[in-house]
Amino acid sequence: MTKVSVNLALCYGHARCEDICPEVFATDTDEGKCVILSEVVPDHLLEKVELAVLNCPEQALRLSDEVEAGAS
Amino acid sequence: MTGSFYPPPPDHVPSDLIVDFDFFHIPQGYEDPAEIWRDLVRRRAPSIFYTRRNGGHWVFLNYEDVVEAYRNFDSFSTYQTPVPPMEPFPVVQPQGVDPPDHYVFRHLLGPMFTPAAVRGMTEEIQRRASRLIATFMDKGRCDFIADYASKLPTSTFLYLMGLPEERLPEFLELAHVFFRSTDEATRAENIQHIYAVLDELFTEKRRNPGEDIASAIVAGRDPSGKALPYQAILNCGFLLFVAGLDTVTNTMAYIWRYLSTTPQARAYFRASLGEPESILRAMEELFRINAVSNIFRRVQKDFVYKGIVLKRNDRIVLPNNIVNRDPAVFENPQQIDLGRKVNTHVTFGVGHHRCLGSHLAKREVMVTIQEWFARIPDFSLGADQSAVGAFGGSVMGFESLPLTWEVSA
Repeated sequence: MTKVSVNLALCYGHARCEDICPEVFATDTDEGKCVILSEVVPDHLLEKVELAVLNCPEQALRLSDEVEAGAS
Repeated sequence: MTGSFYPPPPDHVPSDLIVDFDFFHIPQGYEDPAEIWRDLVRRRAPSIFYTRRNGGHWVFLNYEDVVEAYRNFDSFSTYQTPVPPMEPFPVVQPQGVDPPDHYVFRHLLGPMFTPAAVRGMTEEIQRRASRLIATFMDKGRCDFIADYASKLPTSTFLYLMGLPEERLPEFLELAHVFFRSTDEATRAENIQHIYAVLDELFTEKRRNPGEDIASAIVAGRDPSGKALPYQAILNCGFLLFVAGLDTVTNTMAYIWRYLSTTPQARAYFRASLGEPESILRAMEELFRINAVSNIFRRVQKDFVYKGIVLKRNDRIVLPNNIVNRDPAVFENPQQIDLGRKVNTHVTFGVGHHRCLGSHLAKREVMVTIQEWFARIPDFSLGADQSAVGAFGGSVMGFESLPLTWEVSA
């Protein structure tokens, strides 16, 4: 399962993530910082989320592969 | 302004880092003002060098160093940065103030320029864009800059500030003098005039507030709940005036100049009008390749950066157009690829001072692409662009851009 997370201390509200994958990323109405709508990345959006991560000018986004609970 | 202020280099600048470079001077025959910067790269100028021109300043040519200057505000300040030095220069809010003081106005303005806020402005921007295009679409030609690219951002500014559209000619003239005049007395008088107009605006909005940004600024509070100093409010209005007009005008000028000479790019946009994600991706590439701003910073304290001694008050010029083509960061950097997948250009800066108006600027360009391609048939450059004045400085651009197209009888 792939998860995406944002480090808000690095986010300055470019909204490139929202432009690239609005299904997973939005921005708040206060400072325009990243809001993650779906922490778990749906398989069919993985490619777009990867592009959003690569295009963040502040490198504020991270992808992580999590092993499901119970698996060794 | 060119070369008029040419002091000897300071003692801490080694002679092998001195390059003779005047970023205001565009030699005869240059069609694109950014070429003088690309010449530096072709000549293999040191990636950090010093020029005596324009009061003396450093230049950073690498992406990594420009990003460091943007992020590290403790060392690279935005306070009192003009190149050549101009004193006293208004402390523009919040751009000309370092964190933490910069947060007061940044927090106040932030909500007004988020993607959500800009989405709410779209219809009005569309209306203004289509009205401008209607003034020339049946003529088969226009000067894209005089007839459109200078007018849309200024018209948008009027809308945001709650000013009537009838005042467009007055504000176009104020902006034209501010951005194009090189006469010191004219400029000083013009800045006074802009401040007088802002004073009148904020005074009126305090008395009679509306739903506009000027009303929100004048009613703004600092984090402790105190009213903001009136001079700071004026300086914030001044920033909104100077930051959002010329940059957008010249970015659009560069983009339409490219479109007018590139049939495949016109075809791409015509085919993508219903696909915002494709338009946005192509727009990011055009922002990368057509960055018009050369950004200034002032060294805040004496320190050594990558083995180079920088002294407090040294000025630094950061050319976005060049670092957006840094081969260490971008694949095939000189190639314009409208489908470019990874594109971390710094056209809007990075860090605390990321261009507050970036979403508005992008929306103005997006709306223009949609309205233009919906109304104007295939178009081309109307005259030899080398005959039309290219200018350098903090914002690069052209005096005019004649475009032509067929008009059906």
